[in-house]
Amino acid sequence: MASDLGIVFSGQRGPLFRMAMRMGALSVLTLGIYRFWMKTRLRRYYWSAIRPGGHPMEYVGEPLEKLLGFFIAVVVLAFYIGIVNLVLMFISFSLFDGNYAAYLASFVGVIPIWFYARYRARRYVLARTRWRGIRFGVEPAAWGYAWRAMLLWALTIASATLFWPLMTFRLEKYRIDRTWYGDRQLSQGGDARMLVKGMIPVWIILAAGASVGIFVDPGEGIQFVVGFAILALPLLAIAFAWYSVRSFRLLTAHKMAGDIRFVSKASAPRVIGIYLLGYSATAILTGIAAAAVSFGWLIALFATSGEGFSFEQFDAIAAPGLPLQIVGFVIYFFVFVIWSALRHVFITMPLWRHYAETLEILDTMSLPGIRQRDRDEHREAEGFAEALDLGAAI
Amino acid sequence: MSGAAQNFADFFDGKTAVARRVAYAIDNASGTLSITPPEAAAMFWRFEKLREVPDQAARGQLVVTTVDHPLMRLHIIDKNDVSDLRPLARDLRLKPPVRGKSRVLFWAAGAVAAVFAIVFVLVPVMSDQLARILPPSGEQALGEATLGQIQSALSNEMTGLVPTCDAPDGLDALEQMREAVEGANDGLPYPVRVTVLDHDMINAFALPGGQVVFFRGMIDAAENPDGIAAVMAHEIGHVAARDPTRIALRSAGSLGVLGLLFGDFAGGAVVLLLIEQLIQAEYSRDAEAAADAFAIARLRDADINPAALGDLFQVLRDEYGDVEGIAAHFTSHPALGDRIAAARAAGAEMGDTRPVLNATQWAALRAICD
Repeated sequence: MASDLGIVFSGQRGPLFRMAMRMGALSVLTLGIYRFWMKTRLRRYYWSAIRPGGHPMEYVGEPLEKLLGFFIAVVVLAFYIGIVNLVLMFISFSLFDGNYAAYLASFVGVIPIWFYARYRARRYVLARTRWRGIRFGVEPAAWGYAWRAMLLWALTIASATLFWPLMTFRLEKYRIDRTWYGDRQLSQGGDARMLVKGMIPVWIILAAGASVGIFVDPGEGIQFVVGFAILALPLLAIAFAWYSVRSFRLLTAHKMAGDIRFVSKASAPRVIGIYLLGYSATAILTGIAAAAVSFGWLIALFATSGEGFSFEQFDAIAAPGLPLQIVGFVIYFFVFVIWSALRHVFITMPLWRHYAETLEILDTMSLPGIRQRDRDEHREAEGFAEALDLGAAI
Repeated sequence: MSGAAQNFADFFDGKTAVARRVAYAIDNASGTLSITPPEAAAMFWRFEKLREVPDQAARGQLVVTTVDHPLMRLHIIDKNDVSDLRPLARDLRLKPPVRGKSRVLFWAAGAVAAVFAIVFVLVPVMSDQLARILPPSGEQALGEATLGQIQSALSNEMTGLVPTCDAPDGLDALEQMREAVEGANDGLPYPVRVTVLDHDMINAFALPGGQVVFFRGMIDAAENPDGIAAVMAHEIGHVAARDPTRIALRSAGSLGVLGLLFGDFAGGAVVLLLIEQLIQAEYSRDAEAAADAFAIARLRDADINPAALGDLFQVLRDEYGDVEGIAAHFTSHPALGDRIAAARAAGAEMGDTRPVLNATQWAALRAICD
C-alpha cells in the first residue's frame, strides 16, 4: 500500500564506535561533566539513523539544559536524601536496633522519585524529538505515573508475578495515552489479557524453582539445587526476553495515532541472539583490551622499580609511584569507556536496528494533516533521572 | 558547479507533517540556496545563514536549515550537491548561541552551596540533636554495626575481618585497667567495652554505645601502661559526651548526599573515606578539651599520673612524626602543646601515684594479640 511507511536504519558501527570512544574518554577527563554532551550527540546519531519513510528522526535536546537539570535535581535530592537518610538511620536505630530497616526504608523512599524521574525523562526526550519537522510531546503527569507504578509493582510482587501483564499494559497505556505527535494524540488499545500467554514460560520456570525450593532439602540435594539454578536462571532470562518482545509486538499492533496504525515484526530469537552474541563480543574484546593495558602497566611498574619481571618478587616490589598510580587509575576508567563503546556497537545499535527495521507505519493518509505543537520548556530536563543514575542507557 | 542547476529534495516547513518535494538550486552568483515548493513562492536561503543538523548517521546526506526559519528542514540526498554546498556555506557547523548560560552558573553555584550547607551545617546540627535523644540500645547497635564495617574495611583480605585480640590474660589486664579508669560513677547508660584489633595502625578511637577500640599498634608503641590508661580515659570522655554518636549519624546523612554526587562508580571510595573520617575522628576543639578534662579527672581519681597523657602524645610525636595514626588525630589541634602542658601540670600537683598495671599485667596486655 502506498500509504504504508517502512523504516530505514542507517547507523553504522565504525562512526558510532569512534564517537563513543572519543566522548567516553572526554567524559572521564572532565570528571563526568562531558557526559551531557556525549549523551546529546549520541542521541542525535541514533535518532537520525531511524528514518521512517526515509525521513530521519531528529533529536534537538541541548547539553546545557541537561547540565542545568542535573544541578536542579542535585539541589532538591541532596536535601531529600541527606535529611531522609539521617532521620531513617535514627529511627531505625532507636526502634529496631539495627540499620537494615534504614537501608530498606531509604530504598523504598527513593522508589516513587525513581518512577517520577523516569516519566519526566521520557517527557523531556520526546519533547526534544522531531520527525518531518514536527515535535513529539508528552503531557506532564509524572506523579500520577509514580503512584500507579508503585501500586502495580506492589500488586505484581504480592501476586508472585501473576499481575505482571497487567502492570506492563497499564503503565504502557498511561504513557502512550499521554503522548502526542504534533497535534495528534496517540492511544493504546487492547487489554492486559493479550499479554498473559507470553508470561507462561516464565511462570513454568518459577513454579519449577518454587517446587525445588519446597521439596528438595538443600542440606542433602545441594548439588541438585545448584545445578537447577545454573540451568534455570539463563532460561528465565530468555523466557522474560521472549515475553518482552512478544508484548512489544502486541502493544505496537494496538497503538493508534488517530487512524494511523503500527505493526512490528520484531523477533524474539533475534533479540535474544543480539543480547547473547553482543554481550559475549563486548566481554571478550573488553577483556583482551584490559589484559593488554594491564600487562603494559605491570611492565612499567617493574621497569620503574628496577626489578626483573618475575612473579616471585611480586610482594617485594615497592608501591607504584604517583605517576604510575595515576596511569593505573586512567586504565581503570579506560576499561569502562571501551566496555560502554563496545556495548553501543554490539548491543544497543543492533537492537535499535532490529526494532526499527521490523516496524511499519500503516494507513498514513492523514499524516499531512498533523500540525506543529508548542515547545515544552521542561526546565529540569532529565536531571532527576541523571542524578539517580537512571540515565545510563540512551 | 554549474551555476544554478536544479535538483529535488524533501522539504519540511515546521508547521505541518507534510513532506514536500521541492526543487532547489545552489546559486553561487546570488549566494543563496533557492527552494521552490510546488504552487508556492520560492525561498532564498543565504549561504552564511545555512546550518546543518549535526551528527547525522546517513553519510553524504545533509539536513539543512536556516537561522531565519529554524524549524524548516531541507533534506538533501544528492552527494554531489552536498559536497558542492559544504565549502560555500561556511557556517554550516556553527552552533546556535548558547542560551541560559547564567542560569546554569546560578544553579551550579546553588548545587555546590546546597551540598555544602547540607553536609557541613544541616546534617551536623540535626545529628547533634538526634544523638541527644537516641536511646542507649540504639546507640549500642549503631556502635556494633560501625565496628563491623571498620573491621572489614581495614582488612587486607577480600572477605575477611580484622580479628579482635582475645588472649585471656591480656583481656583480664585490659578489664582491670578499664575498671580503674572508668571508676564507679560513670553515669553512662551502657557499660564501656574495650576492644583491641589486631592491626598495625597506631590509633585508638571511640564508637557509639560505649565502645572504645585500640589498635595493637597503639599498645606496641606505648612505653608504659599509664599511657594506654590515659588514652582510654580520653576516649571514655568522648563516649560520655556522645561525640562518636554524633559523627556516625553525621556520616549516615553525608553518605547519601555524596553518593548522589559521585554515583555508584566512586561510591565505594566514599564509604572508605567516611570510615577513615570516623577513625581519625576530628572532633571539635571544645570536644577534645572536654575529653582531656574528663581524662585528667578520671586518672587523678584512680591515682594514675595524668602526665602520662602528655608523655604519650610527646613520645608518639617524636617517634612517628605529626602525620600518622594517633599523632594525626591529636596533633590536628593547634593547642597540642598546651594540652601536653596541662596534662603535665595536673600530674605535677599530685603526690602519690601508682602505675595502673603491674609488670606482669602489662606484659600480658602487650601479648593480647598473640
